[in-house]
Amino acid sequence: MKKENGNKIRLGLFVIGAVVIFLVGIYFIGQKRLLFSSTIKVKTVYRDVNGLQAGNNVRFSGIDVGTVDDITIISDTAVRVTLAIDRSVQKFIKKDAKASIGSEGLMGDKIVNISAGTEGGPEIENGDVVLAMEGSTIDEIMKSVKVTADNAAHITGDLADVVGTIKTGKGTIGKLLMDTVFAGNLDATMVNVKQASGGLKENMEAAKHNFLLKGYFKKKEKEAAKKEKEREKEEKKESNTTPDK
Amino acid sequence: MTADKAIDDNTSPPEAPEAAKPSGIRALLIEVASMTQFSGRFFKEAFLPPYEINEFLKQSYLIGNKSLPLVGITAFIMGLVFTMQSQPTLAKFGATSWLPAMVSVAMIREISPVITALICAGKVGSGIGAELASMRVTEQIDAMEVAGNRPFNYIVVSRISAAILMVPLLVIFADGIALIGSFIGVNLSGHTSFNVFFGHVFNKLDFIDVFPAFVKTFFFGFAIGMISCYKGYNSNEGTEGVGRAANSAVVLASLAIFIIDMIAVQVSNLFN
Repeated sequence: MKKENGNKIRLGLFVIGAVVIFLVGIYFIGQKRLLFSSTIKVKTVYRDVNGLQAGNNVRFSGIDVGTVDDITIISDTAVRVTLAIDRSVQKFIKKDAKASIGSEGLMGDKIVNISAGTEGGPEIENGDVVLAMEGSTIDEIMKSVKVTADNAAHITGDLADVVGTIKTGKGTIGKLLMDTVFAGNLDATMVNVKQASGGLKENMEAAKHNFLLKGYFKKKEKEAAKKEKEREKEEKKESNTTPDK
Repeated sequence: MTADKAIDDNTSPPEAPEAAKPSGIRALLIEVASMTQFSGRFFKEAFLPPYEINEFLKQSYLIGNKSLPLVGITAFIMGLVFTMQSQPTLAKFGATSWLPAMVSVAMIREISPVITALICAGKVGSGIGAELASMRVTEQIDAMEVAGNRPFNYIVVSRISAAILMVPLLVIFADGIALIGSFIGVNLSGHTSFNVFFGHVFNKLDFIDVFPAFVKTFFFGFAIGMISCYKGYNSNEGTEGVGRAANSAVVLASLAIFIIDMIAVQVSNLFN
């Protein structure tokens, strides 16, 4: 009989132990979902919630302060998100606070980020509607990337046309690069220019020896020689002073 | 006594010694039918007096307290090993901070209920199967019937209800111990404080993880108790039948646990 009673006591301890573990677990899970603390409900309306789900966290200044309570579609372009926020942070969130949807890391869950609003403004109250700040979604980013890509396609298309024109020898650059007849003409022209410049040189020599212009050329030579001398002097001066430094 | 009467009294499969024993599909169908009848009888008699409270408490003690060390050690090792095995893979993705959340969800949703139930099927199921079969062989059950006691109430109802209630409690212990094992496992490869670890665990766990897993353990308990009692109560092949009853109790109960688990996953996904 005594042993049986001992067994019953042990059984009682066993049951109580399990129930305590269970209740502690439930309490902590519930606490994270703010089941046991007083909350205020705040609403916000989005066009697109990007996969936000009821139960996701709400952050204020990077701290978890609540959860998404409910998500309902109210019209074809609006989704109402109800946030349950811990009453203890109510005083820090102002009426002009904004709520944006972000995500927790690259692969993480979606979260709602609440900004503080202007300092000294009236604090938020239960049932208030918070302005929604729609971030750029992947779709929007893809759209803008598409516009950029389309433009790039236009540019490369035009470039291809230009290169094509050049290749067929059209236009000035095309002629310069591709036209062999033009190259031959250019060659002939160059020969003519060479001859012409040779002739010019002879003319110049002749002019130098002409008595009318001789004085001018001599004066020029003298000036050049003077300048050269001055420069040499200065260089000498500099080379004397610099080693002392 | 006609064959029909025999079913009502003993809930044994219809025996026809002069005819050839049914085999294959027929035998399976007969087995399923008589098992269903046996469980029906359990639910009927469970609510009818006399209530065998003392026997129920004694069986609860045997199933619950006596299995706790085995379940506890297994759960601890499962938590520890599971954490250590997952750590390198998560480290490859630089996601070791997900370790507590991942291990806790895996443990609580699936691993500890199933492992605990399988251990109970092995330990409790074989015990009940062998005990009841030897009671049948030594004609104790018949003697009780003759004496006007209600053996079904005393033997079967007390054991099945004890299993239904004790397996979930064992699973709760297993959950807790597995998480402690996992905490130690995390700390073997790096340092994580108790608060951070359990903060992560409870942040990730939701009621949708806990409740379906908790509810299915009652069904595990019922399957273990019912199948092992059925196999023991209906054994009538002499001493050889005792071993066979214990054996088939364990095998069938383990199979039933996996089938229930599969159904439970489907049902709980409906609510997700």
